[in-house]
Amino acid sequence: MSLFYVVAFLSIIFALLVIFTKNPVHSVLYLIATFFTFTIHYIILNAQFLAVVNFIVYMGAIMVLFLFVLMLMNLNTDTEPMKSTLLKVVGAIAGGCLLVTLVGSMKTLSSASTTAMDNTGIGLVENLGKVLFSDFLLPFELSSILLLAAMVGAVLLAKKDNKTA
Amino acid sequence: MSTLIVISILAIVVLYLGLFKAKQALLPISVLGLVAALALAIMEWNSNAAPIFSGMMHFDNFAVAFSSICIITTILVFLLSKNYFEKISDNVAEYYTLILFALSGIIVMVSYHNLSMLFVGLEIMSVSLYILAGIKRKDFASNEAALKYFLMGAFSTGFLLFGIALIYGASKSFDLAVIAQYVIDRPTGIDPIFYVGLVLMIVGLCFKVGAAPFHFWTPDVYEGAPTLITAFMSTVVKIAGFAAFLRLFSICFAPLQDFWMPTLLVITILTLFVGNITALYQTNFKRMLAFSSISHAGYMLFAIVALGAASTNAIFIYAAAYAVSSITAFAVLMLVKAKTGSENFEDFNGLAKSNPFLAFALTVAMLSFAGIPLTAGFIGKFFVFNAALAQYHTWLVAIAVVNAIIGVFYYFKVIVAMYFKDNQTKQIATPAYFNFVLGVSLIITLVLGIYPSFITNLF
Repeated sequence: MSLFYVVAFLSIIFALLVIFTKNPVHSVLYLIATFFTFTIHYIILNAQFLAVVNFIVYMGAIMVLFLFVLMLMNLNTDTEPMKSTLLKVVGAIAGGCLLVTLVGSMKTLSSASTTAMDNTGIGLVENLGKVLFSDFLLPFELSSILLLAAMVGAVLLAKKDNKTA
Repeated sequence: MSTLIVISILAIVVLYLGLFKAKQALLPISVLGLVAALALAIMEWNSNAAPIFSGMMHFDNFAVAFSSICIITTILVFLLSKNYFEKISDNVAEYYTLILFALSGIIVMVSYHNLSMLFVGLEIMSVSLYILAGIKRKDFASNEAALKYFLMGAFSTGFLLFGIALIYGASKSFDLAVIAQYVIDRPTGIDPIFYVGLVLMIVGLCFKVGAAPFHFWTPDVYEGAPTLITAFMSTVVKIAGFAAFLRLFSICFAPLQDFWMPTLLVITILTLFVGNITALYQTNFKRMLAFSSISHAGYMLFAIVALGAASTNAIFIYAAAYAVSSITAFAVLMLVKAKTGSENFEDFNGLAKSNPFLAFALTVAMLSFAGIPLTAGFIGKFFVFNAALAQYHTWLVAIAVVNAIIGVFYYFKVIVAMYFKDNQTKQIATPAYFNFVLGVSLIITLVLGIYPSFITNLF
């Protein structure tokens, strides 16, 4: 349990640092650290598959993409557009409202139920695979259409076209 | 299920046809395939289907009705696409493929019986549309539309997914039947987290159907996207969004009406006023149609606010009426734009003299939008208002009637331009496909308006 608190503390610290650092590259690096703490959370929760996916896809692929884009765009404090005060206030109020709602519901939740999981091994790769290929076979197969559509679209938008539209 | 398989395979076949440079075969094969899919869908009517694939999909009468209307509208859009994509690019086959992929996602959206299916269907549809909105790659407005749609859409998907996750956390299932049972079993003491999930799902779905205050993407995206894609987005996609919305709420959340009704009520009223009042000030016909589509989303939300036995029927009729009128409006807009190069109200001046049929079809469509009797739009509004009145939302109907009157103003602008303003223009050549689509839409609008019992007793 103490491990959980240490990791949770670290995630919050890193998440705050993502927002508060001025340099976008540092922001991304802190985001990687945040994701890494999430990976530890998943391992503590016995969710192997999520941990691996989070590690490879989020920390690996997406973060590299982020860094790549940032370096291409050469963002720094000078080029960052200034947001108006009104926008900041509106954002703070809207975000605060969502936070209050969520916290409120979480608070009433904690007293209501502490459900034990029926099967603690549900997050293991083997069990997940079994569920994915039996109960969730149809959505799994349908995802192929989603990927194909995205692939066709990416080629379509990126390929050089002789005709000018 | 067979409908979904046919449409998915059709999409891949069309993609291969593009590879083999069989350009002439694209349109006939797409339309034939869709007709086959439509026939397969209608054959499932009243077959008392049970949920299939471990409760993932349920092709009931609701699904049959809404898939049929989406497939028919897509066929009409395809018929308008003759020679349209060729002007934009050489890769015509891919556009047909993407529309078909979007349609397969829509079939999933109207027949899901599991929240994971809802999500997958919605994503298939959205991803295809993000691309379709941006197919005019050299056009700044089209790029803006695609990017805006993508960012807003991804954001709204986040809300929806968060909502699904919280509902799963409370009810321990994605299955609609299990969630419904969870709600029924607990007259009091539903997890608060379930309510948060419900609200987040409302936000996500309202984004997708373009209801205020989540409508900000709609005008820019509809205006920037190629007109044919806008026609597809504002008809098929909107109907699918409402079908998914209605299916979720009527199966799962009906007992919680006291909780979500006020929220949706506010959204509905806001949508009506924002859509109608902003539409009044538009000079661009396409942008006016975008705002009018927001206001029509408001009318359709009515039936969900007054959720009951009549809701499905009300939304179905309204959607049918709205779809055929929109197709007519966009078809005429495409013709006028091809000739004048812009899409303002002035471009319609004198259309009644040069092209009487076009002007007449557009007039009927506008009357149907405005809800004038003897058109399908009137029947649609009548049923939607009727459903609301049945639950004593009297003042809500009063607000809607005020809005309908505001609507008449801007819908008549174009009629006035066509009939009472002169402009020495030459006749616009209308291809046979366009005449066919306009004729079919005109007949459907009038037949539904005069003899509505064709589809009023479906459910």
